[in-house]
Amino acid sequence: MAEDSEWIVESIAGYLGSPDWVMPVSEFIEHKCSVFDDEEENKLSYTEIHQQYKEMVETLLDNYMKEVGISEEQFLQACSSPLVRSKTLQNMIQPVMAADDFDIFKSLMIQKNIELQLQALRVIQEQNGSLPDCLTDGLDMMSELEQQELRILKEVLKRSKEEYDQELAKKNCYGEEAGSASNSSKDRMRPASVCQQEVNLKKQLDKEMQPIQKINSSLKPVDKGPAVCTSKTKETEKSNPSNDTVPSGRSKCSNNKVLAPVRVPVKGSEPFPEPKEKSSLEAAEAWLEEARKEAGISRPLTDLTASQMEQLQQRAEYLKQQRDRLLAMKKDQKPKETTESLPLTETKQEMSEEERKKIEKRKHLAEKLKQEVIKK
Amino acid sequence: SSKAPGLFSVIQKLKGTTEQELQIVLLGLDNAGKTTLLRKLASEDVSTITPTQGFNIKSVASNGMKLNVWDIGGQRKIRTFWKKYLEDTDVLIYVIDSADKKRLEETGQELSDLIDEENLKGVPVLIFANKQDLVAAAPASEIAEGLNLHTYRDRQWQIQACSALSGEGVQVSVN
Repeated sequence: MAEDSEWIVESIAGYLGSPDWVMPVSEFIEHKCSVFDDEEENKLSYTEIHQQYKEMVETLLDNYMKEVGISEEQFLQACSSPLVRSKTLQNMIQPVMAADDFDIFKSLMIQKNIELQLQALRVIQEQNGSLPDCLTDGLDMMSELEQQELRILKEVLKRSKEEYDQELAKKNCYGEEAGSASNSSKDRMRPASVCQQEVNLKKQLDKEMQPIQKINSSLKPVDKGPAVCTSKTKETEKSNPSNDTVPSGRSKCSNNKVLAPVRVPVKGSEPFPEPKEKSSLEAAEAWLEEARKEAGISRPLTDLTASQMEQLQQRAEYLKQQRDRLLAMKKDQKPKETTESLPLTETKQEMSEEERKKIEKRKHLAEKLKQEVIKK
Repeated sequence: SSKAPGLFSVIQKLKGTTEQELQIVLLGLDNAGKTTLLRKLASEDVSTITPTQGFNIKSVASNGMKLNVWDIGGQRKIRTFWKKYLEDTDVLIYVIDSADKKRLEETGQELSDLIDEENLKGVPVLIFANKQDLVAAAPASEIAEGLNLHTYRDRQWQIQACSALSGEGVQVSVN
């Protein structure tokens, strides 16, 4: 019985990773996601789309079960097997669950929508070398914002480094004391390896600071607020090595990567952020918020003139066009993909630290984008 | 449908939920206080609520059960969409503005239309005579009479006076 469900679980996993499933599902999500935004209140149109999704999933799974000769009974048994608890499988199952769970469905759609907006921006940039006029204002505005953020971030890092140094000094001091005070203290001098770790950490922190310092020195002083100017974009981009809205080195392969059906991490159930990382991230966010207040930076884009609003509108439209083009392109590319086998979930699982950061950054960007594009 | 009927119970199983879930839909005319009630049930702030153009969903834990509550906008143009949200409903909560005597007949008509829906066959109805905090509010008994509740014999029903704003009387007593 146990072996029975084992092969069934494997078969289900295989199916959920195969083009037979992945292609129609991701195509559906890509084509229907544009109306989904991150408001608490849901639009009536979501229901219709969810219903369509449900029907598609039902048909797909039904066909699959018939084809492989699995009864619902067996399916159910396999699903209660402990094998299903693995993270890989849990991730693969998300789009299945989305059929039954509106919340999961909604977050899948929102994520994909934001992803597509960003991809569209990137494609525009790759094709043109720069963004067309109607988009440059916004990018400039964005890079202005980014510069502001960088300054704040630099300040945050500086302060946290200072704090860290102080902490380190304190600990060292305490360690020496404890060491000389011999047996009385539980907290003796820590083993050398720990100290070494601390030194390494410190080095790492210094290293992390470097590019930021570099960036900062390459930046001209910026005035506050969403000033609009068009000339600055190119040079800041050239001189700014870590402006990774367009990772230039991997533009060719990123194209491929970007176009592969992406497993969308669902809010909340996302496996990757380590708890520790998260807390430091939260702390950093708190810092940022505070620093922002201190610097007296009001929320950007609150007071735009009518012409600016119009430009925003224009950009949104242009973006949408590019998006549609992108979707068409994807459709053309998909048949090719099927010839290669897709070790998708695997690569997704073993996401490097760097990629995670990138994704984090992208999400952040997406937030900004949303503010600009969606909220008028 | 002829397609795998139990498929979604299978998916339920995937979620690994052992606790009992109840699907509840909140309906009623616009300005009856559905969203306020929903937020109150979820212990959320009710001070800034605007007319619902679409729908809201919240999951509320109650007596070891998980209540999935769907609140659908009540404006006339949205009411035609109500029937799309009735499938698999375990309980209908119908909210009434007890101070809006002019529209008592209208809300009664909407309710009786709902009761006739195939998807709500035999589904228990809980009626909230809301806005009891207002001086002009009619008592629950008067509302019950106005709605002809005594003619609803094919299901359980219950009417409860409440103020979603203050939270008085909103404890959902689902059996």
